Amino acid sequence: MTNRLPALAASLLCGVFLLGCAQRVDQLVVLDWAGYELPEFWAPFADAHPDVTVDYSFFAEDAEAYAKLQTGFEADIVHPCSSWWGLYVENDLVQPIDTAKLSNWSGVHAELAQMGSFDGVQYFIPWDWAYESILVRTDKVAEVPDSWADLWNPQYAGHVALWDSGEANFAMTALSLGIDPWTATPEQSAQVQERLVEIKPNLLTYWVDYAEMAQMISSGDLWLASNAWPDAYGLLLDEGVPVEYIQPIEGRLGWVCGYGIAKGAKDVELAHEFLNALLAPESMAFLTNQYYYGAANADSIPLADPYVIELLSLDDPAILKQTIFYQTLTDAQRQFMTSMWDEVKAAP
Amino acid sequence: MSTRSEALLARPAAQLEVRQRITVLLTPPGLWLLLFFVIPLGVMALFSFRAASFGAQRQVFTLEHYQRFLADTSAQRLLWRSLLIALETSLICVVLAFPLAYFLSFRAGPSRLMLLTILVIPSWTSFLLRILAWKVLLGSSGIFNSLLLSLGWIEEAAPILLFSRGAVIITLVYIWVPFVALPIFAGLERINRHLLEAAEDLGSRPWQIFLEVILPLSLPGVLAGFLSVFIPTVGEYVTPLLVGGVDGIMYGNLVQDQFARALNWPLGSVMSLVMMLVVLVLTFGLGRGVKVTDLAGV
Repeated sequence: MTNRLPALAASLLCGVFLLGCAQRVDQLVVLDWAGYELPEFWAPFADAHPDVTVDYSFFAEDAEAYAKLQTGFEADIVHPCSSWWGLYVENDLVQPIDTAKLSNWSGVHAELAQMGSFDGVQYFIPWDWAYESILVRTDKVAEVPDSWADLWNPQYAGHVALWDSGEANFAMTALSLGIDPWTATPEQSAQVQERLVEIKPNLLTYWVDYAEMAQMISSGDLWLASNAWPDAYGLLLDEGVPVEYIQPIEGRLGWVCGYGIAKGAKDVELAHEFLNALLAPESMAFLTNQYYYGAANADSIPLADPYVIELLSLDDPAILKQTIFYQTLTDAQRQFMTSMWDEVKAAP
Repeated sequence: MSTRSEALLARPAAQLEVRQRITVLLTPPGLWLLLFFVIPLGVMALFSFRAASFGAQRQVFTLEHYQRFLADTSAQRLLWRSLLIALETSLICVVLAFPLAYFLSFRAGPSRLMLLTILVIPSWTSFLLRILAWKVLLGSSGIFNSLLLSLGWIEEAAPILLFSRGAVIITLVYIWVPFVALPIFAGLERINRHLLEAAEDLGSRPWQIFLEVILPLSLPGVLAGFLSVFIPTVGEYVTPLLVGGVDGIMYGNLVQDQFARALNWPLGSVMSLVMMLVVLVLTFGLGRGVKVTDLAGV
């Protein structure tokens, strides 16, 4: 009689919170960027679990997702980018991923997989990645630039736009000065900040949204857009605007984002199955075709649109090594980069 | 006698009833304000003393962020810039809105209601859409550039007006003019027309009537209009983000960055509170001698 009591209590509780109990098995909550909710990204999961609803909660900035989880939002899966991964692990917001349970793991680029591993434990599976480089309106410039440092060149005065992101501008400026952005000393950081203030006479504006930036290039007001992504490049090519997406001598920057399983995930097995579906070659090829982004799973390359693969050299085995990926930041580094950028913007 | 004493006796009861009625009427807005204004403001004030936004440091209380703000010259510079932009915007709005309101009140006659509606109609479109429209107008292929080009005043189209403090002010003025015209109109409507006749009968010339009767009597409305632009404009961040370019960045953009990107909610709270305090002091300074009912435009 006594040992039946807990079971009875549990069933009573379940009875009282019937809805809550029912939801636990039927629902997966994904904290993701808007635009990543397309069912084509996880079709194998939908086939295997037609009874599970996948609910998306969206964020517009990495900081927003991080703040949401930090303040108790209950998600099963979260999709931050590499600079934030270390903070999630350090603050115990995600749990280890058992890659043995992921049948599509074998095709994942080792360089990218390594970035999601902390102390030998895989916490994030890399998923989407892309370059950041300078997008040039070729018919307006006398000379196509070949270095990040060319953004400061007075011949482009009044026609340069920087991305309104402290981290991106810090990285780009550090590279132009020959400084490693992720191991910069305080003196070097000060040097980067000074250099950024010097670019202001060259600027038309800061760009916030890629479609808006593409529109400014298309209208001819903007000649050089810094830290532009391949999606804007693709958009302008489709419109027939003469643009070039350069390969700076210091190297292109690259961002990579990936999925992690939140600490409080209700069903860890189910979460693993969802991640595996995301990594399926068909899912990832759809990503490349849809957004002109690179796929973490190399097995998707033969399935993707050859035009996009060739345009972005995604089948070049050396491409990942040549790309300078954003490294994970400490909280202090992250706050410094935002404050530094605010000081630059506020400088007279 | 008896009726009078009855009336005297009845008075406290009537007063009570009025008081009850006011309580009933004020409870919903009061609760609303308490829930969505006073309490959040308290939470923000509390946050301004926290050491960090999350984690264990959240429970540590410190003045660190106030000290950091006092040492932060760029935040102070932008606060000053924002105050100036807000001041210029509100002054231009008043100058543009006054003749408009005057016309509506004194000259428009029976069509005033229709004209008033026409004045307000653009505000039915999305705020963002109207800012983006200005982006097109001020851009290099916009109407101003085309005009200057065809007049031969410039040789090459350039986004001269876009991405500057000027663009921020132009856009904000456009957005706020109707909201300044309304309280000024209400103020002019309340002027007793007999006063104007009396002034005329006593030999005042039209300009004297305007300067000595209409203008002084309309000042509460003008001030209400001025403040209804000045207060929200100081904290503006969307307009500078879209049309401000490099020199048009405002204080609101820094506050947003602290909340949304740096995730330094304590510092963001300090910055917001300081701005509120500055605006409050300025408003009280300007608004001395003006009744709240005038500000409401009733």
